Amino acid sequence: MTDKPVAEMAFEEAMAALEGVVTQLERGEVKLEESIALYERGAALKARCEVLLREAEEKVEKIRLAEGRAVGTEPVTGL
Amino acid sequence: MLVYSHSASSDHVTPLGHPERVARMAAVEQGLAGLAVERRECPLGTREDVLLCHPASHHDRILAAVPVDGWAQLDGDTYLSPGSYQAAMRAVGGMGAAVDAVLGGEAGAAFVACRPPGHHAEARRAMGFCLFGTVAIGAMRALDRHGLPRVAIVDFDVHHGNGTQDLLWDEGDCLFASSHQMPLYPGSGRPEEKGAHGQVLNVPLRGGTDGAAMRAAYERVILPAVADWKPDLLLVSAGFDAHRADPLAGLEWEAEDFRWLAARLWEVSGGRVVSSLEGGYDLPALSESVRAYVEEMARLSA
Repeated sequence: MTDKPVAEMAFEEAMAALEGVVTQLERGEVKLEESIALYERGAALKARCEVLLREAEEKVEKIRLAEGRAVGTEPVTGL
Repeated sequence: MLVYSHSASSDHVTPLGHPERVARMAAVEQGLAGLAVERRECPLGTREDVLLCHPASHHDRILAAVPVDGWAQLDGDTYLSPGSYQAAMRAVGGMGAAVDAVLGGEAGAAFVACRPPGHHAEARRAMGFCLFGTVAIGAMRALDRHGLPRVAIVDFDVHHGNGTQDLLWDEGDCLFASSHQMPLYPGSGRPEEKGAHGQVLNVPLRGGTDGAAMRAAYERVILPAVADWKPDLLLVSAGFDAHRADPLAGLEWEAEDFRWLAARLWEVSGGRVVSSLEGGYDLPALSESVRAYVEEMARLSA
């Protein structure tokens, strides 16, 4: 598990960390006492992924609306 | 209503900071104080009782692992202290006596107020604070020793009752219905887990599920399943850790939701209910929730 704050993670990092959390929870390897903390981390990672996806969608939408006009495209960052 | 307990429950000592701790019993007692129930002492369960569900090797390994002082650790969560075996066997004995008393017509309902809890203990594996599958053992007692045709178990502890499910996976005469937060420890409890005869019913709930959503899930799925089963006895794994204050989980139930559960479970039970304490780790919430649950069950079964 990386120590990087969830809010600073790129999409791939958050997704990989989320997959790790889900695998741990599903395997039942986690202590009862620690399970809820891991679940909360999973929820935070999921929220981070959703934010990044939404940002990406908005950027794609801007590009789509700008199509046919010479405004160029904005770089998609954070993906 | 009968309430079974024993001082041995307080001799199962866990390391400092462990949530499943001796102080839980005082919280339960505080919740029970002044209720119109008949208090009885748990007899000691027997090795044969445990063998209704577990192989002898599991029982003997637990017994042999009991330390003379300090602790023996069985997994990341589960500890034995010198008094742990006796405590677990009083829980098993209390369950047995409660089943016998309710089936003997002495009362409509009983509550076994003991620790350690039992619903995570699998056939050959102690885990999640649990040593023996107290409630599953109660079900097998009713089926095998009393010859009841049909038993049902409802488990509303916030964690999935993987142990009960494991112990009764092949038992077609016992419905096992569980609601639990998912994902959460122990990771099992998906709806696809249905038991060898389709008699297992898992109802996972998302983190944050409140009392209203819980009631809707029970009304839609679990209560009709129990009513259709027409059990001759209903056993309940009564964990109170779905309370919003509980530190080990993330559901949002309140004490009044446990009162509601008591009422609805009584209504679908056919009039014979034995409940056994499982989890619940916020002491004021445990106290208040046990009170609400037992008070309502006592009122309706009187």
